[in-house]
Amino acid sequence: MIQMRALAAQNVRFKYSGSEHWALDGLSLDVEKGEFVSVLGCNGAGKSTLCLLLNGLIPHAIHGELQGNVEVFGTDVTKKTVAELSTQVGIVFQEPESQLFCMSVEEEVAFGPENLAVPREEIRERVEWALDLVGMSGYNDRSPFSLSGGQKQRVAIAAALSMRPEMLVLDEPAYALDPVGRTELYQFLRELKVRHGMTVLLAERDAEEAALFSDKIVLMKDGRQVAAGTPREMLHDPDKLRAMGIVPPQMSEVASLLNARLPGANFSFITVDEAERAISQSVVGRKVRRSR
Amino acid sequence: MTGFIDLYTEADTFLHRMDPRVKIVAVLLVTILGLVLSSLYSLLVLLAFIFVMLFLARATFSRTVFALKFVIRFMVLIILLWPIFDPSGTPVLASLGPVKITEPAIWRGVTSAARVGCLATVWYILMFTTSQRDLVRALVKLGLRFDFGLALAISLRFLPTLSATIDSIKDAQRARGLELDKGGLLKRARNYVAVLVPTIVSALRTADTLSLALQSRAYGARADRTYLRDLRMRSADIAALVLLVAIFVVPTIAKYLFAAPL
Amino acid sequence: MIPASSPSTASDKIVSVRDLKFTYEGGIQALKGINLDIRRGEYVAVVGGNGSGKTTLAKNINGLLRPTSGTVMVNGRSASDLTVAQLARVVGYAFQNPDHQLFCSSVVDEVRFGPQNMGFTQEDISTKVERAIEAMDLKGQRDQPPLSLTLGERRRVSIASVIAMTPEVFIVDEPTTGLDARETDDLMASIDRLNQEGRTVILITHDMNLVAKHARRVLVMSEGRIVLDSDPGGAFSDLELLLQSKLVPPPVVQLAHRLSGLGVSRETLSPGELVSRLMLGGGEAK
Repeated sequence: MIQMRALAAQNVRFKYSGSEHWALDGLSLDVEKGEFVSVLGCNGAGKSTLCLLLNGLIPHAIHGELQGNVEVFGTDVTKKTVAELSTQVGIVFQEPESQLFCMSVEEEVAFGPENLAVPREEIRERVEWALDLVGMSGYNDRSPFSLSGGQKQRVAIAAALSMRPEMLVLDEPAYALDPVGRTELYQFLRELKVRHGMTVLLAERDAEEAALFSDKIVLMKDGRQVAAGTPREMLHDPDKLRAMGIVPPQMSEVASLLNARLPGANFSFITVDEAERAISQSVVGRKVRRSR
Repeated sequence: MTGFIDLYTEADTFLHRMDPRVKIVAVLLVTILGLVLSSLYSLLVLLAFIFVMLFLARATFSRTVFALKFVIRFMVLIILLWPIFDPSGTPVLASLGPVKITEPAIWRGVTSAARVGCLATVWYILMFTTSQRDLVRALVKLGLRFDFGLALAISLRFLPTLSATIDSIKDAQRARGLELDKGGLLKRARNYVAVLVPTIVSALRTADTLSLALQSRAYGARADRTYLRDLRMRSADIAALVLLVAIFVVPTIAKYLFAAPL
Repeated sequence: MIPASSPSTASDKIVSVRDLKFTYEGGIQALKGINLDIRRGEYVAVVGGNGSGKTTLAKNINGLLRPTSGTVMVNGRSASDLTVAQLARVVGYAFQNPDHQLFCSSVVDEVRFGPQNMGFTQEDISTKVERAIEAMDLKGQRDQPPLSLTLGERRRVSIASVIAMTPEVFIVDEPTTGLDARETDDLMASIDRLNQEGRTVILITHDMNLVAKHARRVLVMSEGRIVLDSDPGGAFSDLELLLQSKLVPPPVVQLAHRLSGLGVSRETLSPGELVSRLMLGGGEAK
């Protein structure tokens, strides 16, 4: 039996209307259900365009020329409206401020289901569920203006989740967050995938957290996929990543330098835990210990 | 800037709890009544009634005076200037050339001022006891199209954000040597371009993302959308409505049908 | 905390802050007593989480905010005696959001705006504008409308428009938010150059990687106070403090701490440094 993919994109090309440049230029990408995928690329690589494609905003709300095949959970995005796709794919944009437009947190999270004429009782349940999930229970009557950046981001996520999508797409979600907020956000998204089976796709410029939390990393450049694979496969070459404008995980830089300086070494770690283990156990570690 | 629109203070008074639709109707009726009544005494009675409402809404005197400071100044201006521009009636108390200060004119001035006071205060009570959320919801329930209601709600929601953005832009430009409070009218207008352009750009960018966000949440998908929280009239609200209509209808009929001196 | 003292004359200090306290109108006390001396030519990073007071401190230095109590001296004069415009001649401030500054129809016009407000001569203005455009690598974009440029380019225009006023002190607020690896490297290289040319640079950021790579002095702020004032190595040696100040130490620093048992110094700042220190033990792979 063929398992339906969350996303199956083949040879996608997209040009914004009025532009000569192809924002997506032959992109092919597969995402399995329940996968946590981080799409990494420099500014202008096409990550945002990809995100907008996944819930149909491209081509329905944003005009341009679209070529190729994009199927989300088996449906061609060109054949369903954004409203129809919204129950399958939720999207969270970069700036939390501009996507919260209601006067209270509760209204914001209820807005989506209300538009779909979901019965009141069910809306109530969904709102409580979504707020609880993002850790904002009890904030129902707060105005969005009074929230911190991190809190706004969580409300935006809750507002997408209340539509009960199967996939959550986030375009540079940590943009407005400080480092602690970043880590918390990624941890939350990982939980979402692990506990609730949510397919998560996010666009990023910095590989550090992506390395820790993703199932799959996709490297994008010039509107197409350069490579895709596990974090370790994709992030172990810091020079290649830097050349693509992606900030490599610092540990991969350490590994790469060690490999360069130690003939025969083959370190390949991308997280601090892995690095500590590998270095402590290696000859280098032992040698250093001995010489002290 | 937003202080004008967001006078709402949370409290648990019967006015706060009243259905916002009833409050809107009440304010409209009182406004019309204020324009219908022409005798000073009846207006003072109305004003007294409104003050009682103010007290019941737990609005403090100092806050009310602060919020209505322009209105109060305007009222004083009316009282002072009316006799100067209205020379009709007797007895004449003083005169200087074409200007005649007459006693009836003074009373007419005071009456006009009282009218302004009534209208302003009753609108203040509405804003003080009703959150923006409820106001918009009430308008939609009373017949305003949902999209208009949403547009109104979104504008109100973004007012403080816009205000903060403008402050930030002003700071950024001041740090480049822009002095917004110096120079003649023309120079100041040109200086404001440095604040206006980034503000408009910021607003347009926000509007762009907003429109995508709205669509992503299925806005406009169906004509029959549901509402999580709905307004429901309680018996207290209906009673209040009946009372208000009576308060409005009785003097109006008395005045126009029975020529009562109101 | 008082920084390590070194022999210097009073004129060395370009910014001097004594017991600065600042409370916002809503009642929030953002600065609870700041004591700070910044010398000419320093490259200082002010770090802290959101709400730590770093932006408030910066705005007190360039006059956008006035102290609730305490003093701020800029170039020997009390900041309270000067208007924001006057202080702008000495202290340049590039805001985090460049779009809050850009409004002209070309990059050149945009960069001219500041110097024009300063009242320099036309010749002077032209020179300063050209230098600023060159320093920020904007020659190719000089005639384009700033709003049509990419974020990285807009940031550079915003910075160019501030340094064109030739301030001695340059405060830059979170310059790398939203930039990819290449744009970050380019921008920080430009800022490094500004410091090398003699400008005092104050970098406000919560990105510790940036601090490790570029700054020579770090002020860690937390809840309105300076909790640490030292060189980057010293700042990173106290992990507890960083975490309490809502900062995340770079992975390299975390690793260095964990490997300190192997003799790796806790003051390691970069992957290169870490590897070098490991290699001091010499050796081959297993």
